[in-house]
Amino acid sequence: MRHVTTTSETETKPLTEPVLLILTSLADQPRHGYALLKDIEQLSGGRARLSTGTLFGALRRLLEDGWIERFEQDDTSRQKQTYRLTAAGRRQLQLDLERMKQLTRAGFARLRTSEAV
Amino acid sequence: MKRAYRFFLLLYPLEHQDQFADEMTAVFEAARAEGCMRGWTWYMRFAFAEMNGLIAGAASTWFTQRFRHKPAPQSSGAAASPCALPQELIDAKQRVDLNVAGMIHAIATHQFAKARFHSDEERQARECLRLLQDKYEIQG
Repeated sequence: MRHVTTTSETETKPLTEPVLLILTSLADQPRHGYALLKDIEQLSGGRARLSTGTLFGALRRLLEDGWIERFEQDDTSRQKQTYRLTAAGRRQLQLDLERMKQLTRAGFARLRTSEAV
Repeated sequence: MKRAYRFFLLLYPLEHQDQFADEMTAVFEAARAEGCMRGWTWYMRFAFAEMNGLIAGAASTWFTQRFRHKPAPQSSGAAASPCALPQELIDAKQRVDLNVAGMIHAIATHQFAKARFHSDEERQARECLRLLQDKYEIQG
């Protein structure tokens, strides 16, 4: 039997690291593929470097989910498409960052408790 | 290197190739040009990661395309049901899928002659599938 993912399931599912990095990179301005790669490398302090296969696989899924969209510019060509966040993508990013904030807070609280004992 | 990259791109579904192949190649070329200045160890790591990324990306795209839930089409005619598809169309689709799976496996195990064989077979099978879809007036 095929498992069908409902909208509410999708919304509560944590984002994968490449998706989170892409959405974060697009949060402040639209970017094209190579600019995304460079920005993600910089965002992660050089730790994460996505391959083009991973990047465009994630971009494709994000386009299908409607979390990002292609953004037409004067110099837009087939080789240089620009992407930007949609309202749904922004909401998703906010949800996930909130989730991470809560987890970080809880983690630090537990560390402090264990150090105090 | 660019030729190898283009070859690995053939692993992706045609729809993905139409949409992203030019863009992926351009981004790869830009990254490669930059990589040349970072030294050969970095460059080798980069090349390995790129080829691995392409194989994994192609497998994941095929998998997603095949099993991901898609919203039901608006019209609910008999043609929309997979059960109503003619047998020769189902066989043609299976032949495409088998050759794609064979190609991915051959590349993963570095059997490039076999991969090329499956690539040619897949192209023929896809053309055959397209003709059948035209015959039965079914959209791909």
